[in-house]
Amino acid sequence: MTDMAASIDPSPTDWNGEAMRRRIRRRYAAERRFKLLGLAAILVSAGFLAFLLVTMFSNGISGFARSEVRLDVDFPRSSLFLDPAALEGFGADQALAGADFPEALNEAAQAQYGDSGRSLFSEGAWIGLRDAVRDDPSLLGRRATLWLPASTAIDIAAKGEGEAEAERLKARLAEAGRVRTGINWTFLRGSDSTDPSAVGIWGAFKGSLLTMIVTLLIAFPIGVLSAVYLEEYAPRNRWTDMIEVSINNLAAVPSIIFGLLGLAIFLNVMHLPRSAPLVGGLTLALMTMPVIVIAGRNAIKSVPPSIRDAALGIGASRIQVVFHHVLPLALPGILTGTIIGMARALGETAPLLMIGMRAFVAAPPGGFADPASVLPVQIFLWSDEVSRGFVEKTSAAIIVLLVFLLAMNGLAIYLRNKFERRW
Amino acid sequence: MADMIQSPIQAADAAASSPKMTARGVSVFYGEKKAVDDVSIDIHREHVTAFIGPSGCGKSTFLRTLNRMNDTIGSARVEGRIELDSEDIYASSMDVVQLRARVGMVFQKPNPFPKSIFENVAYGPRIHGLAAGKAELDVIVERSLRRAGLWDEVKDRLAESGTALSGGQQQRLCIARAIAVDPEVILMDEPASALDPIATARIEELIHELRGNYAIVIVTHNMQQAARVSQRTAFFHLGVLVEYGETSAIFTNPRETRTKDYITGRYG
Ligand SMILES: Nc1ncnc2c1ncn2[C@@H]1O[C@H](COP(=O)(O)OP(=O)(O)OP(=O)(O)O)[C@@H](O)[C@H]1O
Ligand SMILES: [Mg+2]
Repeated sequence: MTDMAASIDPSPTDWNGEAMRRRIRRRYAAERRFKLLGLAAILVSAGFLAFLLVTMFSNGISGFARSEVRLDVDFPRSSLFLDPAALEGFGADQALAGADFPEALNEAAQAQYGDSGRSLFSEGAWIGLRDAVRDDPSLLGRRATLWLPASTAIDIAAKGEGEAEAERLKARLAEAGRVRTGINWTFLRGSDSTDPSAVGIWGAFKGSLLTMIVTLLIAFPIGVLSAVYLEEYAPRNRWTDMIEVSINNLAAVPSIIFGLLGLAIFLNVMHLPRSAPLVGGLTLALMTMPVIVIAGRNAIKSVPPSIRDAALGIGASRIQVVFHHVLPLALPGILTGTIIGMARALGETAPLLMIGMRAFVAAPPGGFADPASVLPVQIFLWSDEVSRGFVEKTSAAIIVLLVFLLAMNGLAIYLRNKFERRW
Repeated sequence: MADMIQSPIQAADAAASSPKMTARGVSVFYGEKKAVDDVSIDIHREHVTAFIGPSGCGKSTFLRTLNRMNDTIGSARVEGRIELDSEDIYASSMDVVQLRARVGMVFQKPNPFPKSIFENVAYGPRIHGLAAGKAELDVIVERSLRRAGLWDEVKDRLAESGTALSGGQQQRLCIARAIAVDPEVILMDEPASALDPIATARIEELIHELRGNYAIVIVTHNMQQAARVSQRTAFFHLGVLVEYGETSAIFTNPRETRTKDYITGRYG
């Protein structure tokens, strides 16, 4: 035995020999290679992200602006025949509804811009005329200058992408100071419409917001409680194993299946209102819950057992251990999981189509049970439209969705840092 | 065999007060594996009892049965009878939460909560409703930290995190946390094994001071420590309680050769 050991160990290690130096060089080369590969991977993904953001913003930012064309209206001589007194107090709406604003717009446009004058304005431009009169009935007694939304062709030309003829028209208007570009408040405040210059994102935004609130209120407590129960209370046996496997599978189920489930349960059995944020939120909660359960269980598992022992050792009950020590320490991880689940839910279209959230909804939802659209479905619907004016609106809606997502992530990161503790 | 060991001690103590805790025929299983085999022992008031023995012989396992911390390990099963003041602690009428408040525990690795120093000590009194208000809680926290010999070092930074203290300070914080709920017995599992000699000496001093009020059980691998701090010593080997008696007797005149071999360092 000793003989063998002696024969194996012939000489002290040569730390400066040629072989050793070669090995060191190879090690450094391997490390450099790996670092470069990692850097390349980061650059590629950052490149994709930048490409996405740049295209979205360059296409979409103009959706937040709109062009307006100047119109001089001589109200006393128009065919409106409205009595300013009728617009005070009760009956104002009725009086407004009775007046023929589209015709008045036609006349004024033709008077100012010739026979094809009407085509300079968007189809819904008469609404601007009506709103102006409603806000200031005294207009009816005089000549007034209004700025009304331009037609899609002029609008696109004003943003520098129009066709030759529209370009020329727009140039003539611009020379005379009769066209201007401003913030598109209609887009920020309005809802869906058939006329691209009259569409708004607020309806879909509010729909998404309400849907997300329902999802969060259902999925977060149920998800966290399930995770706590499975980790802290459930016995380890065949049943809990089965539940665990089912939850893991549930997280991988294609989202459209959840849509069918929502359709079957919430609409056909429970008869909840169709197309409503309530049903959308419930359906998405089904989808988000398993993600929260899985993240929650991992977060709870990673709380050091010594903390649990410490609390139990001075006589904390199980529920006190969970609520005073385990959950606060697991919260950052739970929030990370929640935000991943919620982000997925926010961008989800397929299950919502199944429960009727692809309907044309021209007004923002007033509550959880009103018909509503949501941002991704709105994007999907607009991207399907043939009219040119919808292209930039689609991109603009995508920007709104991304901003919503960023705001949600920001909130989660803020909360996570607030609750983060070290041990 | 257990009886053989027990009888002389019981006879000696019969005149004194009854033991604080008694264990009779206690065995602990992890699944099929027997980790503690038929142990019977008495823990006395105002005494420090040391558990010694080679690694893996079941000292920690037995210690944890005394406040039912083994309940938290799914595979662990306890047989036999353990009494605290003649009350069966494994009886269904025993509230395990209250038991653990009465039989406190200090762990081998310091494990303060990731909360402020004040909160660490105040937590126990708070959940057990031992303080009527903030002022009373302040008093309890100060008294506990003083008794743990930590007050002077932390009195100006009670709001700082308990995890920011040094290892020895953390362990004293854990002791302060354990005594804040005013337990009757304190179990310490190698409380000084991760500490330097100075911090160890502080903890030993502390054990000396605490002895007047509590029954203390300490697991240690350090023979000198056992000899210094304890009045009684129990030697465990392969899950069996080999010998139990006055510390001086165990160290100077052990009856079993296994005990003698262990304390003279012939194996371990
Ligand atoms: N949670 C557990 N599950 C299964 N077996 C365990 C568990 N904890 C301890 N054991 C086993 O029980 C036996 C006794 O362990 P224990 O921790 O009580 O030893 P110990 O005397 O405290 O040792 P040490 O001095 O090293 O701390 C060992 O063989 C160990 O492997
Ligand atoms: Mg141990």
